[in-house]
Amino acid sequence: MASAIRPMLLRQTALSVATRRAATVPAFAFLSRTTPFQSTIAKDASRVAAFHASSRRSLLPPGPQIIKGTINDAVPVPDPKPTHGSYHWTFERLIAAGLIPLTVAPFAAGSLNPALDATLCALLLVHSHSGFQSIIIDYIPSRSYPGAYKTSMWLLNIATVLVGIGLYEFETNDVGVTEAVKRVWNA
Amino acid sequence: MAALRSSSSRLLAAASRSSAGPSMFVRSMASVGDATVNAVPKSSSSARNKTFQIYRWNPEEPNEKPKMQSYTLDLNKTGPMILDALVRIKNEVDPTLTFRRSCREGICGSCAMNINGQNTLACLCRIPTDTSADTKVYPLPHTYVVKDLVPDLTHFYKQYKSIQPYLQRDTPAPDGREYRQSKADRKKLDGLYECILCACCSTSCPSYWWNAEEYLGPAILLQSYRWIIDSRDERTEARKAALDNSMSLYRCHTILNCTRTCPKGLNPGLAIAEIKKEMAF
Amino acid sequence: MLASLQTRGAATVKMTPDEAQTLLASQRRQRPVSPHLTAYDFKQTWFSPSVWTRITGGGMTAALYVFSLSYLAAPLTGWHLESASLVAAAASLPFAAMAGLKLLVTWPFMFHLFNGTRHLVWDLAKGYNKPVIHAGNIAVWSGSLLSALGIAYFL
Repeated sequence: MASAIRPMLLRQTALSVATRRAATVPAFAFLSRTTPFQSTIAKDASRVAAFHASSRRSLLPPGPQIIKGTINDAVPVPDPKPTHGSYHWTFERLIAAGLIPLTVAPFAAGSLNPALDATLCALLLVHSHSGFQSIIIDYIPSRSYPGAYKTSMWLLNIATVLVGIGLYEFETNDVGVTEAVKRVWNA
Repeated sequence: MAALRSSSSRLLAAASRSSAGPSMFVRSMASVGDATVNAVPKSSSSARNKTFQIYRWNPEEPNEKPKMQSYTLDLNKTGPMILDALVRIKNEVDPTLTFRRSCREGICGSCAMNINGQNTLACLCRIPTDTSADTKVYPLPHTYVVKDLVPDLTHFYKQYKSIQPYLQRDTPAPDGREYRQSKADRKKLDGLYECILCACCSTSCPSYWWNAEEYLGPAILLQSYRWIIDSRDERTEARKAALDNSMSLYRCHTILNCTRTCPKGLNPGLAIAEIKKEMAF
Repeated sequence: MLASLQTRGAATVKMTPDEAQTLLASQRRQRPVSPHLTAYDFKQTWFSPSVWTRITGGGMTAALYVFSLSYLAAPLTGWHLESASLVAAAASLPFAAMAGLKLLVTWPFMFHLFNGTRHLVWDLAKGYNKPVIHAGNIAVWSGSLLSALGIAYFL
């Protein structure tokens, strides 16, 4: 929810500038000519509600419509990159499927032995990383925000490495994730 | 076109008559659902007045914000479908209302729009008979609006073109006449060939909203799958390779708005899942 | 007679294809984007299980990242985040706060687990009939809430 609301606020400020600029474009002159049915529409004016849900409220500001080439030119087809496509997808599913028994087992067994606990941490870390990656690709598209995209990807990479070290420390110096959760739960 | 012509001549007639007396002008232009205009007074008591709120934006006044405009019709005098109501509003109340329509039977896909929060074809969508609630009509979501309910689908069509939606093969037919197909192979195309490219599913997909430039969207992917599993097509691998990147196919997160909204009862979500499955191993 | 006559005051302008493209491009730049999140059925946008899987997953990941990073920084900052002091902190919490915290952790976990499993089934191209999807949505929402309550208060 929060992730949806934050860009909304950002965009409100960004677009208020854009709308002010657009407002300076002169209206078409021939519209001042009154047509017979304009009077009927004027009668309806009281029923016409001001409507704000256009580009102003969009989640990611889409910007003005720009289409490259004519209708007869197909959209360019990207080069195949299986490491970001099919391999990545399959890998993600395998990790997710592997997490199910590892997260359900502690409920039955109480906690996991150190080896399984470390596996759980490793899979969680990879799963979290690819989940965050997906969020960045979706909401900070590199075509519109190349700088922010790169920054957030690198921040994520650094964070994941540090989190990995942190989890390693916790696993080796402390009681392990599942055991710690169990103890806090029963505190 | 016939309907357009007759309405414009009626307008001219109304305009020329209006100089004779304002009352006549009002009679010809106001909503028929209005009791004062109604020729049969007794119907006003049994009238089922329904209000339609319709998205309006005029490209000739680009600085005006888009707005919702209300029209009230008597459902007793309107056909059963939303398209009937729109046509009646255009003919009798407000000729400036702009929308696309053609076949009025759900095969051309022109009248795709967002009705009461759901994308569908106006000609296949019944008017809700509950007259207490307004019916809201918007253009297809997150599209660039040409005018009122008309979205610009240029990019959608360009994406369709990019998947090469035609049979490609190098080997000639064994009998030199036609490319034959077993009944089982033909059956695989059922549920895919019926797609009319109305764009209801693509514009219902939040992933397509945010990444339409690169993500192909459910409609185009369903069409792509239609060619991938066609037993007569010999470019299956090339077709799959064209989707094998992070954006074209894999922005699908199985939200399934597409399956839920398809006015033809097809299942774009399933088609995408089949592509992913075929490409997985 | 005159009234039924059809006249059209349309004026045409001669244009080269390039000029026409330029004009179209300038018109395109004026176009608004039609409403989406505000117009679309909110049950399918704001309450779609798919987006809540992402939200719950993102929330839990954020919590894991924050905890792990603080644990890593603990020796430098002097925080006590080892399990023994966490248990002591949890034990000192009033019952209501602990119960609320437990639910706050359990519901996202159960929701993510349930709907994640459903997504894995979908990835096998199974369960795409509309009635099945609808029943699954209800099952995931109610099942995650009930099981979270059960786990938070009875386990």
